[in-house]
Amino acid sequence: MKSHLILACALALPWSAWASDHGPVFSYATPVNSQGEVSFDTGIFGRGGSAGTQLSTGSGFGYGVTPHLTLTFLLPATFGSGSLAESRMMAGGEWSAGASWRFLHSVTSVGKRIESTASLGIVAPGPQQDSGVLGSLHRAPGVAGTLATGLASRSQYLWAGAGYTRFAEASNDRRPDTLSWSGVYGYRPTKLRRGYDQWDYRGFAELTGEHTGNVRTAGAILPNSATTSIWLGPSVLAIFKNIAISGGAQAPIFRDASGSIYGREHIRFAINFSYLKYSSHASAH
Amino acid sequence: MKKFILAGFLALSSFAAHAQYEQVNLTVFGMDCAPCAHAIHVSMKGIPGVSTVDVDLNTGLVTIKLASVNNASMRQFNQAVEKNGFTHKDAEIVAKGKLTGTVGAFFLEVSGTQDRYALSPATTAADLTSLLGKTVTVTGVVPQSAKGKVSDTLRYKTITEAR
Repeated sequence: MKSHLILACALALPWSAWASDHGPVFSYATPVNSQGEVSFDTGIFGRGGSAGTQLSTGSGFGYGVTPHLTLTFLLPATFGSGSLAESRMMAGGEWSAGASWRFLHSVTSVGKRIESTASLGIVAPGPQQDSGVLGSLHRAPGVAGTLATGLASRSQYLWAGAGYTRFAEASNDRRPDTLSWSGVYGYRPTKLRRGYDQWDYRGFAELTGEHTGNVRTAGAILPNSATTSIWLGPSVLAIFKNIAISGGAQAPIFRDASGSIYGREHIRFAINFSYLKYSSHASAH
Repeated sequence: MKKFILAGFLALSSFAAHAQYEQVNLTVFGMDCAPCAHAIHVSMKGIPGVSTVDVDLNTGLVTIKLASVNNASMRQFNQAVEKNGFTHKDAEIVAKGKLTGTVGAFFLEVSGTQDRYALSPATTAADLTSLLGKTVTVTGVVPQSAKGKVSDTLRYKTITEAR
């Protein structure tokens, strides 16, 4: 277990949390990289339940092609033997690559902006097999799309987002389609609205939800394999110039999942580290 | 011979120092957090000739001080903001340049760059006729421009002959 944790720390974060360097750790948000900015995320996502525990990590990279278009790439890893439901809000064992486009960007005043970002990517099975029910399936690639919109300011943050992932069929097996959504409110107290050469803190209340469809195995639907769950919990983001650390935990406020298939998942947590490398390249006259 | 070389170097330095931005106070909208400010700082420092950059997140003010010899342009300052996904507003500047044009239609040419501003008074118009063709120091405001553009107008507050 210890070696798993060390390896997990050396790797990094899931695709769904790409915005974590500027925003919440569980939820969808709108920030994208600056032009020429390279970002690197690393962290651990944990899920614990009556049917076991799963730790997920991934090495996440992002590159800002333009001020509003970022390419992303994730190398995943999962550990543990929990029999847990499909989740796209939390990391799994899939590789993913995609692009995020901030198609709406309205800057209204000092420190405030309203924006919307859409992401589209491909998801491919990673080298590690899932555990539990999902571990017995033949795996195939899928596509994932997300949409997030919201407001960022010096004092408050508000984002809402949703995502959908659909996997292809492989040898009459198919992982469940997943519809996920999130809403997050963030606040930075007056005393913490200070200079950028000091640590910048803010807190979030993150509400996330997911509905996963039925698992298809050997050409047949596995009865009672669809799930719906809603999670709520706090997270904190601390940033110093180009380094960010965030962490949070969530507990379920609604669960509709077969206990015999998935057990009862009762906690989710995340710790993330981000490094941002900004471009100093100046244009010619 | 050494004296001639030294004199020539000083003359060239003096000429270059007479025509450039000395300070730019640029208001930037949209920066909400420390990485935003850090990104602006890094981008501005990447412009040759910029000596110090200070970013105030609560006012959105980016204060750029430039070396005594530089050829940084307003377009570069604006692009440093745009590449980070923010919006530049008015810029208060202190610049040296040559006063050109005709009586009633004065221009400031910031040599070493392609920046050329039509001068209009911020408050009351000054009589600039006597300064035509001379190198002047101007303080004033360059109004907000559209993305990828630089305003062609400078609302001057003071214009004095440069020493």
